[in-house]
Amino acid sequence: MGNLLNSLSTELRRGTLTLAVLSQLRTPQYGYSLVQLLEGAGISIEQSTLYPLLRRLEKQELVTSSWDTSESRPRKYYVLSEYGFEIFLQLKKEWIENSKELYSLLKGGEVDEFN
Amino acid sequence: MNLIEVYIQEVTRRLPEKSRGDIALELRSTIEDMLPNDYSEEEVKTVLEKLGSPVTLAVGYRDRPMHLIGPRYFDVYVSLLKMILPIAVVISLISMIAEYFIGYDGEEAILNVIFDVIAYGILKTLEVGIQVFFWLTLVFAIIERVDNGKDEQPLTTNLKKWSPADLKNVAYIPKKKTITKLEVFGSLMWTAIWATIYFYADHLVGIYRGEGNRFEFITPVANQEVLLQYWFIVLIVICLEIALAIYKLIKSKWTKGMAIFNAAFQLISTIVFIVILINPDLITQNFIMYMTDLFEITANQLKSWIIGGGIFFFIVGAAINVYDGYRKARIR
Repeated sequence: MGNLLNSLSTELRRGTLTLAVLSQLRTPQYGYSLVQLLEGAGISIEQSTLYPLLRRLEKQELVTSSWDTSESRPRKYYVLSEYGFEIFLQLKKEWIENSKELYSLLKGGEVDEFN
Repeated sequence: MNLIEVYIQEVTRRLPEKSRGDIALELRSTIEDMLPNDYSEEEVKTVLEKLGSPVTLAVGYRDRPMHLIGPRYFDVYVSLLKMILPIAVVISLISMIAEYFIGYDGEEAILNVIFDVIAYGILKTLEVGIQVFFWLTLVFAIIERVDNGKDEQPLTTNLKKWSPADLKNVAYIPKKKTITKLEVFGSLMWTAIWATIYFYADHLVGIYRGEGNRFEFITPVANQEVLLQYWFIVLIVICLEIALAIYKLIKSKWTKGMAIFNAAFQLISTIVFIVILINPDLITQNFIMYMTDLFEITANQLKSWIIGGGIFFFIVGAAINVYDGYRKARIR
């Protein structure tokens, strides 16, 4: 049962990862700073998922990237593009609506459980 | 040994050439970000453990699928495989058998040739099966990689998206009425076998004596000249049987018309069989002598056994066949 629960909750979380990442990229971030931001907010993300995800978002033109070589260690910064920002706002709206609907659905279930 | 460099190499060697440099640079900077300024090998190991298997990471970076044939093409692939495989095998078997018959010089006993054909046929079937499987899989694996359509919907056999209109092309057939392709191929094979036996009876049907692992043909059962007097009517029976098999293949279920056709065919073939069998010159004198010696019976007893038994079994078989056809045609 533990395994099944694990895979189901991973599946639940998978769709929200893109939204979480997009939400943090309104300001430029590099890979590790993004990990720390997300972990600080209590969102755990596999690093082997995050870095490829960033590149995929770049390919989809939702984010743009640039190398910063001014410091001792070169870092690749990612930031939302204009298009990405629009998509982010729409996704956010959708997510909030969805979670409201799901919440009321689950609330209804709770009433049943008490009866 | 620099673990970080090895890890990066393990990831990038699985990636396309053009993206390697950039990913390597980013990975190195990320790994260094995760490490304290002065780090030990143990700390490197912990960080690399967090990043996970280089294979998983590389798979994340590439866009290409990790499967040969995905859900979009799998159904079409399996349907085509099921369709092409039997056709390819049958065609290659027929051409192989034809080759044997054309090349047959009449010197070897036909039974031996038949054993050769069976052994070679099994080999050929395997070979053709593997070939078809390999090439079809290869073609679909390439299509899977070339197709950039992001649509995940499975395709129908005509390579279009499914729509309810497709259901009109599918015949609704109740299970009990169906005629499987195997049944049709089986019946065609049967026609081929008995026709071969008919035309080569003087080489095939007779008394054999085993010598080592080869068989020697002693004497045929039937007079070939007597048998061949009926060649035209037998040819008609062959054509009718092939026509019936093709009709079954097209309809793939029993209908009333088919049951009538089947009954007529069974009647005709029974009459032809009886007419040939009761010809007094059909059975060779050699065979009669051999058998009467062997079982210590008279020639007349032997003849009546053969004719009576033959007619009995043929009529019973035909009757069962006709009844079965009508029964299946009546099922709703």
